[in-house]
Amino acid sequence: MKVRTWVRDLLLTLLILAVSFAVVVALQRAFDTVAVAPMVFVMAVFLVSRVTNGYVWGIAATLISVLAVNLAFTFPFFQFNFSPPENVFSAVVMLFVAAMTSALTTSLKAQERVRAEVGREKMRANLLRAVSHDLRTPLTSIYGSCSTIMENYDSLSKEQQVKLLGEVCDEAKELSRMVENLLSVTRIDSGEVAVKKTPTVLEELVDTALVKFRKHYPDQHVEVDIPESFIIIPMDPILIEQVLINLLENAVCHAAGMTRLTLRAFTLGDRAIFEVADDGCGIPRERLEGLFSGNLVRAPAEVDGGRHGMGIGLSVCATIIRAHGGDIRAESKPGRGTTIRFSLKMEDAEHEQQ
Amino acid sequence: MSNNKFKILVVEDEANICSFVETLLVTNGYQVLTARTQAMGQSLFLSHTPDLVILDLGLPDGDGLEFIRAVRARSAAPVIVLSARTTEQDKVAALDLGANDYITKPFGTAELTARVRAALRSHHQATGAQPDGKFVAGGLTIDYASRKVLIDNQEIKLTQTEYNIVALLAEHSGRVMTYTSIVQAIWGETDPGSTKKLQVNIANIRKKFGSRPGDNPYILNELGVGYRMIEEDLARK
Repeated sequence: MKVRTWVRDLLLTLLILAVSFAVVVALQRAFDTVAVAPMVFVMAVFLVSRVTNGYVWGIAATLISVLAVNLAFTFPFFQFNFSPPENVFSAVVMLFVAAMTSALTTSLKAQERVRAEVGREKMRANLLRAVSHDLRTPLTSIYGSCSTIMENYDSLSKEQQVKLLGEVCDEAKELSRMVENLLSVTRIDSGEVAVKKTPTVLEELVDTALVKFRKHYPDQHVEVDIPESFIIIPMDPILIEQVLINLLENAVCHAAGMTRLTLRAFTLGDRAIFEVADDGCGIPRERLEGLFSGNLVRAPAEVDGGRHGMGIGLSVCATIIRAHGGDIRAESKPGRGTTIRFSLKMEDAEHEQQ
Repeated sequence: MSNNKFKILVVEDEANICSFVETLLVTNGYQVLTARTQAMGQSLFLSHTPDLVILDLGLPDGDGLEFIRAVRARSAAPVIVLSARTTEQDKVAALDLGANDYITKPFGTAELTARVRAALRSHHQATGAQPDGKFVAGGLTIDYASRKVLIDNQEIKLTQTEYNIVALLAEHSGRVMTYTSIVQAIWGETDPGSTKKLQVNIANIRKKFGSRPGDNPYILNELGVGYRMIEEDLARK
């Protein structure tokens, strides 16, 4: 990774300098003047400092530019001559531009990083708050049911015991689903590494997600609409599967009055688009805003009605899709239903895998 | 003494998990040995030569992968890996080292016993020669002798390669097979494009089988790892 950025910076620097050199030569041919040479190279130094990392490349470009201008484009030609004060002056100007631009670029990049870090931190904090709240419900039920059985083993009828144990089982499954979501997020947040993408067959992804979804909601029919052709998309399949399951589950848990649930996927240019659409109650506009940021979780419980905090699943989805360099959006009309759509890039298939 | 029972070694450091797995297996008629560390597991393995090992990957005294290596150096007894990790790389690494199957925690009891059955059965089959006779699972029938595949008594026309893949998965039914192991068995070598070649073949097989996403009853996906043919109908054997 380090070596790659180094090579990239070197190539960019050489390219920009070469182009500048060519431009000056061309101008010299056309107008028989070298007066523009310092200006063109100042521009080159500026560009190099802007597009590369750190100070090194800008300074290097400055030195090369000063030499080039002095040697090739300043009288006396093809001799070093620093005696005319304007030559020294243009060298100083270029150095100054390089230093300032590099400093500016570096601080800009640092600022972007800080902003991204703050955003991630905030999202994580929201998630954590939501999760610790949501973990408590199933835990309370599991703990309560188990201790009820243990303490009243002889007085409880067999049916009562089986009923309580069944609840323990259900709640434990619920817990494990939540933990799965958390695991997904830690998988992304461990370091700044982007997700590890492997070429994944669209049909296999959709199939796996549906099989898992059906395990939890055997009665919910899902209409599936995906292309007939063989499509491979680079992704972390476990994470995207998690996104699809979350979106389907969200519809089941929150789209009151839903009669149709659709999972659609298609390609559009260099992107694969996935859509989960329901025709349920919809999401009010004021809640649509914070849908993917985890802010929703703290919304008053009575609005929600359901037992699950809705924000967790969706903010996990957003985290996953963004880590893939994709985009996720929600469209909703109260009373008409909600469509959540995300896109993934298709082209960066990297090296073919393993 | 009822020593015709299969002997299963469970290597797991979490006492609670160990306890319920033991109870479950004993109830299902297996003889169970338990070990809490890798060292203890290895010594029990040597002294008792179990028929199957259930192994947790995250043991306190070393990586479970080392244990698989040690077992494979001496024996072909099936190894089922219990993994709390969700990354496919760990699963693939364990499978490629010689583990026969894996289960991700948390798992249901039915899932565990099904995997144990499948692993024991295919181990005892694999010691025989070429499979002959028939494979029946749900609506799918494979006639090994005539190389015919039927779904609901309708013959399905498969290419040579497609048949070979289906037969291979059926021979290891109930168990996951990694992309690499299938590719090696079918084409004999792996190159960068071979996983894709396999995936295309599987897609074609599914189409011929009439499978739809979400309704894909015979060849199951293990995303990022490989494929699994459903278990053979038990009633037949």
